Amino acid sequence: MILFRISGIIIVSEFIELKSGDTPLNFIKRFFSGMKQEDEVSEPAKVATPVSTTASESVASEPSVSDIGNTEATAEEERFADAPPAPRTILHAPAAKQGLFPESSDGILIKAQPSPTGDQCMFTVNQVLMKDCSWYFDSFESAAESSLAESLFSLEDVETVLVCEATVTVTRKDKTLVDWKPLAKEIGAAIRNAVEEGQSLIADKIISTIPSEDVIREGIQKVIDEEVNPGVAGHGGQINLLAVKGNSVTIQMGGGCQGCSAADLTLKQGIHTSFRKAVPEVGAIFDETDHTAGLNPFFS
Amino acid sequence: MPRVLTFKVNIETGKQGPNEPVNFSFNGHTMPFEKVIGSNEPDAIFEGSFDVNSFAHSLTLVGPEKGKWEIDKIRVDYECEGEKPYVVNWGAVTLDETTEVNLWQDPPVPAFDV
Repeated sequence: MILFRISGIIIVSEFIELKSGDTPLNFIKRFFSGMKQEDEVSEPAKVATPVSTTASESVASEPSVSDIGNTEATAEEERFADAPPAPRTILHAPAAKQGLFPESSDGILIKAQPSPTGDQCMFTVNQVLMKDCSWYFDSFESAAESSLAESLFSLEDVETVLVCEATVTVTRKDKTLVDWKPLAKEIGAAIRNAVEEGQSLIADKIISTIPSEDVIREGIQKVIDEEVNPGVAGHGGQINLLAVKGNSVTIQMGGGCQGCSAADLTLKQGIHTSFRKAVPEVGAIFDETDHTAGLNPFFS
Repeated sequence: MPRVLTFKVNIETGKQGPNEPVNFSFNGHTMPFEKVIGSNEPDAIFEGSFDVNSFAHSLTLVGPEKGKWEIDKIRVDYECEGEKPYVVNWGAVTLDETTEVNLWQDPPVPAFDV
Protein backbone atom coordinates (compact mmCIF):
# COMPACT_ATOMS: atom_id res chain seq x y z
CA MET A 1 0.00 0.00 0.00
CA ILE A 2 2.76 2.32 1.02
CA LEU A 3 4.78 1.32 -1.95
CA PHE A 4 1.75 1.88 -4.16
CA ARG A 5 1.30 5.34 -2.71
CA ILE A 6 4.98 6.12 -3.06
CA SER A 7 4.95 4.86 -6.61
CA GLY A 8 1.83 6.98 -7.14
CA ILE A 9 3.58 10.10 -5.88
CA ILE A 10 6.53 9.29 -8.06
CA ILE A 11 4.23 8.94 -11.02
CA VAL A 12 2.54 12.21 -10.15
CA SER A 13 5.89 13.78 -9.57
CA GLU A 14 7.10 12.47 -12.87
CA PHE A 15 3.98 14.01 -14.43
CA ILE A 16 4.54 17.33 -12.72
CA GLU A 17 8.20 17.20 -13.67
CA LEU A 18 7.17 16.68 -17.20
CA LYS A 19 4.65 19.47 -17.03
CA SER A 20 6.65 21.97 -15.04
CA GLY A 21 10.17 20.76 -15.67
CA ASP A 22 10.84 20.75 -11.95
CA THR A 23 11.58 18.03 -9.42
CA PRO A 24 9.00 17.27 -6.75
CA LEU A 25 11.40 18.33 -4.04
CA ASN A 26 11.97 21.58 -5.74
CA PHE A 27 8.26 21.85 -6.35
CA ILE A 28 7.57 21.32 -2.66
CA LYS A 29 10.30 23.81 -1.77
CA ARG A 30 8.92 26.21 -4.32
CA PHE A 31 5.42 25.56 -3.04
CA PHE A 32 6.32 26.37 0.57
CA SER A 33 8.65 29.13 -0.46
CA GLY A 34 5.81 30.41 -2.57
CA MET A 35 3.58 30.39 0.47
CA LYS A 36 6.33 32.22 2.36
CA GLN A 37 6.71 34.66 -0.49
CA GLU A 38 3.01 35.23 -0.46
CA ASP A 39 3.26 35.79 3.27
CA GLU A 40 6.17 38.12 2.71
CA VAL A 41 4.15 39.94 0.12
CA SER A 42 1.28 40.19 2.51
CA GLU A 43 3.60 41.31 5.31
CA PRO A 44 4.59 44.47 3.53
CA ALA A 45 0.97 45.00 2.78
CA LYS A 46 0.27 44.83 6.49
CA VAL A 47 3.19 47.11 7.13
CA ALA A 48 2.24 49.26 4.23
CA THR A 49 -1.20 49.82 5.59
CA PRO A 50 -0.11 52.01 8.46
CA VAL A 51 2.44 53.63 6.21
CA SER A 52 -0.22 54.37 3.72
CA THR A 53 -2.43 55.50 6.60
CA THR A 54 0.30 57.74 7.80
CA ALA A 55 0.78 58.95 4.31
CA SER A 56 -2.91 59.50 3.89
CA GLU A 57 -2.95 61.32 7.22
CA SER A 58 -0.05 63.45 6.14
CA VAL A 59 -1.77 64.06 2.89
CA ALA A 60 -4.92 64.89 4.78
CA SER A 61 -3.01 67.30 7.00
CA GLU A 62 -1.58 69.04 4.01
CA PRO A 63 -3.94 71.16 2.01
CA SER A 64 -5.23 69.66 -1.16
CA VAL A 65 -5.30 71.80 -4.23
CA SER A 66 -8.95 72.54 -3.69
CA ASP A 67 -8.33 73.40 -0.02
CA ILE A 68 -5.43 75.77 -0.55
CA GLY A 69 -7.62 78.79 -0.91
CA ASN A 70 -9.54 78.01 2.26
CA THR A 71 -6.35 77.33 4.20
CA GLU A 72 -4.87 80.61 3.16
CA ALA A 73 -8.03 82.35 4.22
CA THR A 74 -7.87 80.62 7.60
CA ALA A 75 -4.22 81.55 8.04
CA GLU A 76 -5.07 85.10 7.08
CA GLU A 77 -7.82 85.19 9.66
CA GLU A 78 -5.50 83.77 12.32
CA ARG A 79 -2.85 86.30 11.43
CA PHE A 80 -5.28 89.13 11.79
CA ALA A 81 -6.67 87.61 14.96
CA ASP A 82 -3.15 87.62 16.47
CA ALA A 83 -2.24 91.01 15.07
CA PRO A 84 -1.23 93.45 17.80
CA PRO A 85 -3.75 96.13 18.63
CA ALA A 86 -3.26 99.62 17.35
CA PRO A 87 -0.54 101.45 19.29
CA ARG A 88 -1.80 103.60 22.10
CA THR A 89 -0.76 107.12 22.89
CA ILE A 90 1.51 107.29 25.91
CA LEU A 91 0.47 109.97 28.35
CA HIS A 92 2.62 111.51 31.03
CA ALA A 93 0.89 112.21 34.29
CA PRO A 94 2.24 115.13 36.29
CA ALA A 95 4.91 113.90 38.63
CA ALA A 96 4.41 114.89 42.23
CA LYS A 97 7.47 116.89 43.17
CA GLN A 98 9.19 115.93 46.32
CA GLY A 99 11.06 118.73 47.99
CA LEU A 100 14.79 118.34 48.36
CA PHE A 101 14.82 120.34 51.54
CA PRO A 102 12.68 120.46 54.66
CA GLU A 103 10.07 123.20 54.44
CA SER A 104 11.29 125.13 57.45
CA SER A 105 15.02 125.65 57.33
CA ASP A 106 16.81 128.87 58.25
CA GLY A 107 20.29 128.14 56.98
CA ILE A 108 21.60 127.80 53.44
CA LEU A 109 21.13 124.21 52.35
CA ILE A 110 22.80 122.84 49.25
CA LYS A 111 22.32 119.46 47.58
CA ALA A 112 24.77 118.12 45.02
CA GLN A 113 23.54 115.81 42.25
CA PRO A 114 26.18 114.50 39.84
CA SER A 115 24.87 113.78 36.36
CA PRO A 116 24.65 110.15 35.21
CA THR A 117 27.42 110.87 32.72
CA GLY A 118 29.62 112.16 35.53
CA ASP A 119 30.88 115.25 33.73
CA GLN A 120 28.53 117.68 35.46
CA CYS A 121 27.16 118.21 38.92
CA MET A 122 24.08 120.26 39.75
CA PHE A 123 23.95 122.10 43.05
CA THR A 124 20.49 123.04 44.26
CA VAL A 125 20.27 125.76 46.86
CA ASN A 126 17.24 126.37 49.06
CA GLN A 127 16.98 129.93 47.75
CA VAL A 128 16.87 131.61 44.38
CA LEU A 129 20.22 132.75 43.00
CA MET A 130 19.08 134.23 39.70
CA LYS A 131 15.41 135.04 39.24
CA ASP A 132 13.58 134.31 35.95
CA CYS A 133 16.76 133.95 33.93
CA SER A 134 20.00 132.04 33.73
CA TRP A 135 23.58 132.60 32.68
CA TYR A 136 26.32 130.44 31.31
CA PHE A 137 29.90 131.25 32.27
CA ASP A 138 32.40 129.56 30.03
CA SER A 139 35.59 131.06 31.48
CA PHE A 140 37.05 132.91 34.43
CA GLU A 141 37.06 136.11 32.36
CA SER A 142 33.33 135.84 31.74
CA ALA A 143 32.78 135.69 35.50
CA ALA A 144 34.12 139.16 36.14
CA GLU A 145 32.04 141.06 38.74
CA SER A 146 29.86 138.02 39.35
CA SER A 147 30.95 136.99 42.83
CA LEU A 148 29.41 133.54 42.71
CA ALA A 149 31.00 132.54 39.43
CA GLU A 150 34.31 134.15 40.35
CA SER A 151 34.56 132.12 43.52
CA LEU A 152 33.73 128.93 41.63
CA PHE A 153 36.29 129.56 38.89
CA SER A 154 38.90 130.06 41.56
CA LEU A 155 38.62 126.33 42.20
CA GLU A 156 41.09 124.32 40.17
CA ASP A 157 38.90 121.81 38.38
CA VAL A 158 35.92 124.01 37.41
CA GLU A 159 35.50 124.38 33.65
CA THR A 160 32.09 126.01 33.16
CA VAL A 161 29.32 127.32 35.42
CA LEU A 162 25.63 127.62 34.64
CA VAL A 163 23.45 129.54 37.08
CA CYS A 164 19.70 129.08 36.70
CA GLU A 165 17.11 130.05 39.31
CA ALA A 166 18.15 128.11 42.44
CA THR A 167 20.69 125.85 40.78
CA VAL A 168 24.34 125.98 39.83
CA THR A 169 25.58 123.40 37.34
CA VAL A 170 29.31 122.92 37.18
CA THR A 171 31.30 121.07 34.52
CA ARG A 172 34.69 119.85 35.59
CA LYS A 173 37.86 119.95 33.53
CA ASP A 174 39.02 116.46 34.38
CA LYS A 175 36.40 114.23 32.77
CA THR A 176 38.15 111.07 33.97
CA LEU A 177 37.23 111.70 37.60
CA VAL A 178 33.89 110.24 38.60
CA ASP A 179 33.82 110.98 42.33
CA TRP A 180 32.40 114.46 42.74
CA LYS A 181 32.39 114.55 46.53
CA PRO A 182 35.75 116.29 47.15
CA LEU A 183 35.12 119.01 44.53
CA ALA A 184 31.43 119.23 45.39
CA LYS A 185 32.26 120.10 49.00
CA GLU A 186 34.52 122.92 47.85
CA ILE A 187 31.85 124.17 45.44
CA GLY A 188 29.19 123.94 48.13
CA ALA A 189 31.34 125.99 50.49
CA ALA A 190 31.99 128.58 47.76
CA ILE A 191 28.29 128.93 46.96
CA ARG A 192 27.42 129.24 50.62
CA ASN A 193 30.06 131.92 51.20
CA ALA A 194 28.93 133.89 48.16
CA VAL A 195 25.30 133.80 49.24
CA GLU A 196 26.12 134.68 52.84
CA GLU A 197 28.26 137.66 51.81
CA GLY A 198 25.21 139.10 50.15
CA GLN A 199 27.15 140.54 47.22
CA SER A 200 25.79 140.63 43.72
CA LEU A 201 25.95 137.01 42.64
CA ILE A 202 25.58 137.88 38.97
CA ALA A 203 27.06 141.05 37.51
CA ASP A 204 24.55 143.77 36.74
CA LYS A 205 26.03 144.21 33.29
CA ILE A 206 25.08 140.62 32.54
CA ILE A 207 21.51 141.03 33.69
CA SER A 208 21.18 144.19 31.58
CA THR A 209 22.43 142.48 28.42
CA ILE A 210 19.86 139.69 28.48
CA PRO A 211 17.61 140.26 25.46
CA SER A 212 13.88 139.73 25.30
CA GLU A 213 12.36 136.29 24.86
CA ASP A 214 11.36 137.13 21.29
CA VAL A 215 14.94 137.93 20.34
CA ILE A 216 16.15 134.70 21.95
CA ARG A 217 13.39 132.69 20.25
CA GLU A 218 14.12 134.18 16.85
CA GLY A 219 17.85 133.59 17.12
CA ILE A 220 17.52 130.02 18.37
CA GLN A 221 14.85 129.12 15.79
CA LYS A 222 17.11 130.46 13.06
CA VAL A 223 20.08 128.37 14.14
CA ILE A 224 17.82 125.31 14.45
CA ASP A 225 16.46 125.79 10.93
CA GLU A 226 19.69 126.72 9.22
CA GLU A 227 22.33 124.77 11.08
CA VAL A 228 21.13 122.17 13.55
CA ASN A 229 18.27 120.48 11.73
CA PRO A 230 20.06 120.18 8.39
CA GLY A 231 22.88 118.50 10.32
CA VAL A 232 20.74 115.95 12.20
CA ALA A 233 18.44 115.35 9.21
CA GLY A 234 21.05 113.01 7.79
CA HIS A 235 20.29 110.69 10.70
CA GLY A 236 16.54 111.15 10.38
CA GLY A 237 16.46 113.46 13.38
CA GLN A 238 15.03 116.86 14.10
CA ILE A 239 15.15 119.42 16.89
CA ASN A 240 12.14 121.47 17.92
CA LEU A 241 12.14 124.60 20.03
CA LEU A 242 9.42 124.09 22.63
CA ALA A 243 9.67 127.13 24.84
CA VAL A 244 11.69 130.18 25.77
CA LYS A 245 11.50 131.50 29.31
CA GLY A 246 13.70 134.46 30.03
CA ASN A 247 16.88 133.47 28.26
CA SER A 248 16.42 129.75 28.97
CA VAL A 249 15.29 127.57 26.11
CA THR A 250 13.62 124.18 26.06
CA ILE A 251 14.04 121.90 23.09
CA GLN A 252 12.78 118.48 22.12
CA MET A 253 14.62 115.94 20.02
CA GLY A 254 12.50 114.03 17.52
CA GLY A 255 12.78 111.50 14.74
CA GLY A 256 15.97 109.49 14.87
CA CYS A 257 17.34 111.66 17.70
CA GLN A 258 14.69 110.45 20.12
CA GLY A 259 16.14 107.66 22.17
CA CYS A 260 19.40 107.70 20.24
CA SER A 261 22.40 106.62 22.29
CA ALA A 262 24.33 109.60 20.92
CA ALA A 263 21.62 112.11 21.84
CA ASP A 264 23.51 113.41 24.88
CA LEU A 265 26.65 113.92 22.81
CA THR A 266 24.67 115.64 20.05
CA LEU A 267 23.01 117.88 22.62
CA LYS A 268 26.11 118.94 24.50
CA GLN A 269 28.69 119.12 21.76
CA GLY A 270 26.51 120.02 18.82
CA ILE A 271 23.37 121.85 19.83
CA HIS A 272 24.71 123.69 22.86
CA THR A 273 27.73 124.92 20.95
CA SER A 274 25.65 126.09 17.99
CA PHE A 275 23.10 127.84 20.21
CA ARG A 276 25.70 129.66 22.30
CA LYS A 277 27.71 130.67 19.25
CA ALA A 278 24.64 132.08 17.48
CA VAL A 279 22.99 133.59 20.58
CA PRO A 280 25.66 134.20 23.24
CA GLU A 281 23.07 135.44 25.73
CA VAL A 282 21.27 132.12 25.88
CA GLY A 283 21.36 130.63 29.37
CA ALA A 284 20.11 127.18 30.30
CA ILE A 285 19.20 124.73 27.55
CA PHE A 286 16.73 122.10 28.66
CA ASP A 287 16.00 118.92 26.75
CA GLU A 288 12.48 117.65 27.34
CA THR A 289 12.79 114.64 25.10
CA ASP A 290 11.39 111.45 26.52
CA HIS A 291 13.88 109.08 24.97
CA THR A 292 11.84 106.00 25.90
CA ALA A 293 8.46 107.15 24.62
CA GLY A 294 6.99 107.26 21.16
CA LEU A 295 6.36 104.60 18.58
CA ASN A 296 9.92 104.03 17.51
CA PRO A 297 12.40 105.01 20.19
CA PHE A 298 15.96 103.78 19.88
CA PHE A 299 15.85 101.85 23.14
CA SER A 300 12.80 99.75 22.27
CA MET B 1 18.41 101.47 32.37
CA PRO B 2 18.49 99.36 35.49
CA ARG B 3 17.30 95.82 35.96
CA VAL B 4 13.89 96.00 37.61
CA LEU B 5 13.45 93.25 40.16
CA THR B 6 9.89 94.09 41.12
CA PHE B 7 7.49 96.99 41.11
CA LYS B 8 4.26 97.66 42.93
CA VAL B 9 1.53 100.10 41.98
CA ASN B 10 -1.09 101.79 44.09
CA ILE B 11 -3.71 103.55 41.98
CA GLU B 12 -6.48 105.71 43.33
CA THR B 13 -9.42 105.85 40.93
CA GLY B 14 -11.55 108.97 40.76
CA LYS B 15 -15.20 109.27 39.85
CA GLN B 16 -15.01 107.08 36.77
CA GLY B 17 -13.54 103.60 36.69
CA PRO B 18 -14.02 100.71 34.28
CA ASN B 19 -13.85 97.91 36.87
CA GLU B 20 -11.96 95.59 34.57
CA PRO B 21 -8.62 93.77 34.84
CA VAL B 22 -5.69 96.14 34.97
CA ASN B 23 -2.80 95.55 32.59
CA PHE B 24 0.62 97.07 32.30
CA SER B 25 3.05 97.07 29.42
CA PHE B 26 6.70 96.33 30.13
CA ASN B 27 9.02 96.88 27.17
CA GLY B 28 5.99 96.61 24.90
CA HIS B 29 4.66 93.38 26.41
CA THR B 30 1.21 93.74 27.91
CA MET B 31 0.56 91.67 31.03
CA PRO B 32 -1.83 91.61 33.97
CA PHE B 33 -0.70 92.47 37.47
CA GLU B 34 -0.05 89.84 40.10
CA LYS B 35 -0.97 89.94 43.78
CA VAL B 36 -3.92 92.18 43.01
CA ILE B 37 -5.80 93.87 45.82
CA GLY B 38 -8.83 96.08 45.24
CA SER B 39 -10.10 97.23 41.88
CA ASN B 40 -10.38 100.18 39.54
CA GLU B 41 -14.01 100.87 40.33
CA PRO B 42 -14.91 104.50 40.99
CA ASP B 43 -13.32 105.75 44.21
CA ALA B 44 -11.55 102.42 44.73
CA ILE B 45 -7.88 101.71 45.23
CA PHE B 46 -6.08 99.17 43.09
CA GLU B 47 -2.86 97.53 44.17
CA GLY B 48 -0.83 95.15 42.09
CA SER B 49 2.74 94.11 41.61
CA PHE B 50 4.92 92.11 39.29
CA ASP B 51 8.33 90.44 39.65
CA VAL B 52 9.95 91.55 36.43
CA ASN B 53 13.64 90.65 36.69
CA SER B 54 14.42 92.40 33.44
CA PHE B 55 15.90 95.63 32.18
CA ALA B 56 13.40 98.43 31.86
CA HIS B 57 13.11 100.28 28.59
CA SER B 58 9.51 101.30 29.08
CA LEU B 59 6.74 100.69 31.58
CA THR B 60 3.20 101.93 31.11
CA LEU B 61 -0.21 101.42 32.64
CA VAL B 62 -2.60 100.37 29.88
CA GLY B 63 -5.93 102.10 29.61
CA PRO B 64 -9.22 100.19 29.79
CA GLU B 65 -10.60 98.35 26.77
CA LYS B 66 -13.86 100.24 27.11
CA GLY B 67 -14.82 103.44 28.82
CA LYS B 68 -12.71 105.91 30.72
CA TRP B 69 -10.54 105.50 33.77
CA GLU B 70 -10.09 108.64 35.82
CA ILE B 71 -7.02 108.22 37.94
CA ASP B 72 -6.40 110.58 40.83
CA LYS B 73 -3.03 109.33 42.01
CA ILE B 74 -0.48 106.73 41.06
CA ARG B 75 2.27 105.56 43.35
CA VAL B 76 4.91 103.13 42.13
CA ASP B 77 7.42 101.41 44.38
CA TYR B 78 10.43 100.14 42.46
CA GLU B 79 13.10 97.68 43.45
CA CYS B 80 15.96 97.67 40.99
CA GLU B 81 19.19 95.73 41.02
CA GLY B 82 22.02 97.65 42.63
CA GLU B 83 19.76 100.55 43.62
CA LYS B 84 18.00 101.56 46.78
CA PRO B 85 14.23 101.01 46.58
CA TYR B 86 12.54 104.22 45.46
CA VAL B 87 9.05 105.59 45.06
CA VAL B 88 7.55 107.79 42.35
CA ASN B 89 4.19 109.56 42.69
CA TRP B 90 2.13 110.91 39.81
CA GLY B 91 -0.96 113.04 39.73
CA ALA B 92 -4.28 112.84 37.89
CA VAL B 93 -4.62 111.36 34.42
CA THR B 94 -7.54 109.92 32.44
CA LEU B 95 -7.07 106.79 30.37
CA ASP B 96 -9.22 105.19 27.69
CA GLU B 97 -8.90 102.48 25.04
CA THR B 98 -6.45 104.57 23.01
CA THR B 99 -4.08 105.61 25.76
CA GLU B 100 -1.63 104.38 28.33
CA VAL B 101 0.33 106.31 30.91
CA ASN B 102 4.03 106.18 31.59
CA LEU B 103 4.99 104.51 34.85
CA TRP B 104 8.73 104.39 34.40
CA GLN B 105 11.18 106.70 35.99
CA ASP B 106 14.86 106.00 36.35
CA PRO B 107 16.23 105.70 39.86
CA PRO B 108 16.90 109.14 41.29
CA VAL B 109 20.36 110.51 40.84
CA PRO B 110 22.14 110.19 44.15
CA ALA B 111 22.22 113.52 45.92
CA PHE B 112 24.27 114.52 48.90
CA ASP B 113 24.52 117.57 51.13
CA VAL B 114 27.47 119.89 50.69
